[in-house]
Amino acid sequence: MRRALLVALLGVLALGACGGTESADDSATPAGDANPSEVTLLAYDAFTPAEGIFDAFTAETGARVKVVTGGDSGTVISKAILTAGNPEGDVLWGVDNTTLPRAQNADLLESYEPVDTGDVCVNYSKKWYAQRGLQPPTGLDDLVTPQYRGQLVVQDAVNSSPGLAFLMASVAQYGDGWQQWWRALIDNDVKVVSDWTTAWTVEYAGGGNPGTRPLVVSYGSSPPAEIVYAADPSAVTEPDSGVIKSTCFRQTEYAGVLRGTQNPAIAQKLVEYLLARRFQESMPLSLFVFPVNPDAALPEVFAKWAVKATKPLTLPAADIAANRERWLREWRAIAL
Amino acid sequence: MAGDRPVTRTRGTWRVLPLAFLGVFFAWPVVHGLVRHGRPAEVVSVLTDPSLRGVAWFTLWQAVASTFLTLLVGMPVTWALSRWRFRGAGVLHALVTVPFLMPAVVVAAGVLAIMPGGGTVAILWAHTVFNVSVVLRVVGPRWQMVNRETLETAESLGATPWRAFATMTWPDIRGAVRNAVAVVFAFCFSSFAVVSVLGGPSVRTLETEVFTQAVRIGDMRTATALAVVQTITVLAVLWVGRMRDGDDGGGTTLTGVRHVSERMRMRPLPAIVAGLGAGFVIAPLVAVAMRSVRRDGRWTLLGWRALFNGTLDNVGVDIPSVLASSAGFAVATVLIAVPLALAACRRTRQSVAETVSMAPLLVSSVTLGLGLVITFDRAPWDWRGDAWLLPVVHAVVALPLAVRTIGPALRAVGGEVLDAASDLGAGPWRRWLTVELPMIRPALARAAGISAAVSLGEFGATSFLSRSGTMTVPIAVGQLLGRPGPVLQQAGFALATVSGLAVVLSGRCYVQSTRTR
Repeated sequence: MRRALLVALLGVLALGACGGTESADDSATPAGDANPSEVTLLAYDAFTPAEGIFDAFTAETGARVKVVTGGDSGTVISKAILTAGNPEGDVLWGVDNTTLPRAQNADLLESYEPVDTGDVCVNYSKKWYAQRGLQPPTGLDDLVTPQYRGQLVVQDAVNSSPGLAFLMASVAQYGDGWQQWWRALIDNDVKVVSDWTTAWTVEYAGGGNPGTRPLVVSYGSSPPAEIVYAADPSAVTEPDSGVIKSTCFRQTEYAGVLRGTQNPAIAQKLVEYLLARRFQESMPLSLFVFPVNPDAALPEVFAKWAVKATKPLTLPAADIAANRERWLREWRAIAL
Repeated sequence: MAGDRPVTRTRGTWRVLPLAFLGVFFAWPVVHGLVRHGRPAEVVSVLTDPSLRGVAWFTLWQAVASTFLTLLVGMPVTWALSRWRFRGAGVLHALVTVPFLMPAVVVAAGVLAIMPGGGTVAILWAHTVFNVSVVLRVVGPRWQMVNRETLETAESLGATPWRAFATMTWPDIRGAVRNAVAVVFAFCFSSFAVVSVLGGPSVRTLETEVFTQAVRIGDMRTATALAVVQTITVLAVLWVGRMRDGDDGGGTTLTGVRHVSERMRMRPLPAIVAGLGAGFVIAPLVAVAMRSVRRDGRWTLLGWRALFNGTLDNVGVDIPSVLASSAGFAVATVLIAVPLALAACRRTRQSVAETVSMAPLLVSSVTLGLGLVITFDRAPWDWRGDAWLLPVVHAVVALPLAVRTIGPALRAVGGEVLDAASDLGAGPWRRWLTVELPMIRPALARAAGISAAVSLGEFGATSFLSRSGTMTVPIAVGQLLGRPGPVLQQAGFALATVSGLAVVLSGRCYVQSTRTR
């Protein structure tokens, strides 16, 4: 009896000691979490991780991963910012180099790491141009010429992450002349839709979609995605969508622990898991992005068809932070 | 009325409650929000920015067009329903009044079901659906009192019906029409849900732009400047509408008696006019329900099934939780708004608290939402992520309507009944509990129904505060309709149908009371 008491007492002391050290440093062990059996990952709609990819995480840590998607990337980040400090989940997936300044301003994330990279590029339907004996455009300059009038569909730069990246591509390319180029683009009957899914599945004519426009702002990895998502992937030898490399804008996505999470320790573990080889190797064919982990090997279909521009368009982070609101305001005045 | 004193004094202290409530959750956030970022320089820069000026111009233009269309439909309907008695008039009256409490997203969804592309015409239609009931409610009672015999005499002396209308009826109803126009214009000018659902990325009004700038772009200064412009315009319009209210107080033919005609020869026309108007207003609501079970000309329960089989889980819309939060918020809103409204009202005449309680009607819900997220964002007032704030804000929006329902009912209780109770030895509390309260119970039920309906439909302020764990039905409807994909759309219409039915149920007593009035 007395021994049992002693053990219990020691146990309590040990727990107390653990608790003490946890709160003393950065509460980095699962015991500091309010609900260590579940961790919520907030992401945008297009976040479609490989089936069962989090099973290994659950086996390792005992925590189930709950993925909550809340609209396009702009919406998800806005909602996260409105609830900064009292978040709806533990880990956020979906901040990229174009939106990172917003997250930093709002003090949204406890910590964040780059988790993948990819290019936002204009895609074209090879079949559409071949059938008409026409050449696809080769760069941003071509898009404002009468030859390509009414052929491009883009996304709202306010709501959609590829839409914003495409705006930034034009700024990177033309500097202060970007507004003039956009005016010419609008005069050339470009269509602006609210999000990527609408642009790709409703307006785009390539890749087996029912739309009428052969040019769409999408990703350098759209071609392998087309093969993977085909009704019979083995029957598709070559994707219909091609990538216009000179239009590519480099996107780096981040995963971060949301400030104010009740489960900081398990959240940190999840971010580490996202950066580890298993998840990184699953990304190319589930999320169609390039891993940041140098140890991750690329699947063959992805290595063969995904485009990563050798000289992508980029903008310094400081420029983005200083000008994003102004660019968006000016872009809306021109494009909407 | 010596016996009245103790009650008045007790109630006087209670009246501090609604005032404090509005002070903390309405006046402070709105004033602080508008002042913190709303510098005159910013307002000027908003007004000189060509793109934002375009937005302001479109806002004004669509509000004027919506108001005009509302009058075009609303005036004939009001004439038919307030001047004529025919079989089915009661039902038509109820049908026209239903949209008044309908959540804006449900009406917008209905117009979207009929016009899948949305756009400006769709927006005008949706605005008309709401506001025809406003014309009926504001102008109808006045028009009923115009003396029929005087008009008939004029007509028998050779005046055309039009001339009789212009010279005799119009001067009497002019003030009411002007009032209705001001209210309808203010509604359309600050309409948010309708424009969000039906507009698409390129249709922008001041109200949606406040939201976009604040939430999507994160530019609080521009958002606030726009909110200032918007608030000033609405206040000015309502003030003009009100100021002119008194200048034609007593018309020559007003009798204070209802004049309803039953003349045989006119019978088909009023019924047809009212029927067409009701059809115009009700069609979108019917379309919502139809669209929830029909797609591409085929019947399907896909949308309804999607609500409950987990399809929507991975787009972050958990329907059971959405329904539970909305129901919980509605109950909480009733529990906050009705007691506060009761505390605000005085039995003898309209109290200051009652007048002040009308203030939330003057400020758009998006402006309120903006103020809330700006103001309640840091300790110790870091409340914007807290679930309890939602029913509190819904109660702020519902309070004016609840007060308007309870106040007149309270004053209708005869003083002599209360005096008698006092004479028989009842103390103020006992008298209130056993005599007064039972007499105003129907009004309390109506106020509860309205408050619940407001909570079930509130969209503007809720858009700023909603989060996945506490998402309300209107927000979920808006999200589902805003996403591509047939199943999500279908589910959006199904949920809109649920929402509409819930509001009809909670507003049932209200509609009945207006119909029998």
